[in-house]
Amino acid sequence: MSDRTLIATMGFDERHVLPALRLMPYDRLVVVAGRDTFRSPGFRRLKALEPDLQAVGVKPFDLAASLASIRETIAQASRDGPVRISASGGPKTLTNAAILAAFQEGIEAWYCDPDPVRLPVLRGIRLEEAFSPAERAVADLLRRPVLYDRLVATASARGLARRTAHAAVRSLAAKGLIELVTGQGAVEVQPSSRFPLFRDHLRPAAKKG
Amino acid sequence: MTVLFGTLGWRPQSLVPTIRSTENLERVQFYHSDHVKSRDARSKVIEFCRSLGVPASAAEVTDAYDLLQVASQIRGDVRKERAAGAELRFNIAGGTRLMSSAALLVCILEGIPATYVHDETYREIPLPLLRITYGEGLTPRQREVLGFLVKNREKDFTETALARALGVHKATMNHHLRELEEKGAIERREDPNDARRLIVKPAPAMELLVG
Repeated sequence: MSDRTLIATMGFDERHVLPALRLMPYDRLVVVAGRDTFRSPGFRRLKALEPDLQAVGVKPFDLAASLASIRETIAQASRDGPVRISASGGPKTLTNAAILAAFQEGIEAWYCDPDPVRLPVLRGIRLEEAFSPAERAVADLLRRPVLYDRLVATASARGLARRTAHAAVRSLAAKGLIELVTGQGAVEVQPSSRFPLFRDHLRPAAKKG
Repeated sequence: MTVLFGTLGWRPQSLVPTIRSTENLERVQFYHSDHVKSRDARSKVIEFCRSLGVPASAAEVTDAYDLLQVASQIRGDVRKERAAGAELRFNIAGGTRLMSSAALLVCILEGIPATYVHDETYREIPLPLLRITYGEGLTPRQREVLGFLVKNREKDFTETALARALGVHKATMNHHLRELEEKGAIERREDPNDARRLIVKPAPAMELLVG
């Protein structure tokens, strides 16, 4: 039988977490918070209610680091069953990291402060699905700025049809991951400032078989 | 030309770095709370924009509203600018948690490049958001069905009635609804007046996705 996991973000006040516990049935509770939270009276009160809760320490004011930790927590919990997230506790960077993680991983997310609001996450739709295999293959070739023609030629040499490679480059540009810069008669493809943020999501899919 | 949106709390420094770093800045539109310190910060940001010759407008948002209401308000403003052909950017660093999270929600759903500014270093940090609308996770037909249900949220539709209303075969509608249900976009509930009938309803907040 699968375990239902509820991941809840928390600051110093457990009252931001309690509505989620009341509303959402769960078998396992994971509290994501800064390390100072785990020494707070609020956390001790919560622990008294839920002695088996699992605590995951994050840097609550670092959105990128919190996002990575929450995504990892979701990935682990998803192996055992359905996962929900309550993003109502903690500083806004932590809340925002939890919201982003829920959308990236396609898991149900709630904001309960004070009234419960379910966010419009499409269940099971992960960020990875926004990238086609051709886009991943082209992104994999992009380490530094490169001439457009050379990038397409390299992609073709690795088995992509030229037309598919062209389309993948244009699509990555439309998504804001690369920039096409024209200079001295040639077009250069440059990774945008957002490109590194998607490295994990752009990894080429493992081949079947 | 770029229109910069932002949420503002008590510190103008949470928004100013993005005003400085935005190329071809045409206008700044930001949201702040009704707290006196937030109003003070608003004056400073407007003064800063004036010194750069950039028009700025501010909208007051109170915590009396809920997350989805604030998100709807922001989304309305964002769509208006987008329809006018502007490039958009959003800084979600300042403001209350509710305001910032509502702004983030809009950025995710509408595919707007967003940044936040680190509390101590005031360094601008881009968020991992793609320039695609989140609703593209649904097929055009699924969006049509969900859009119809959202528009008619007050009415009760069975699967058959829905198929008739949208002019598709019952089996096709069943397929779309199963997919939508799997994605958590709709719910099927028992009709309180007839236990044999299942009523199809959009899940909460789907207005933000297809509205």
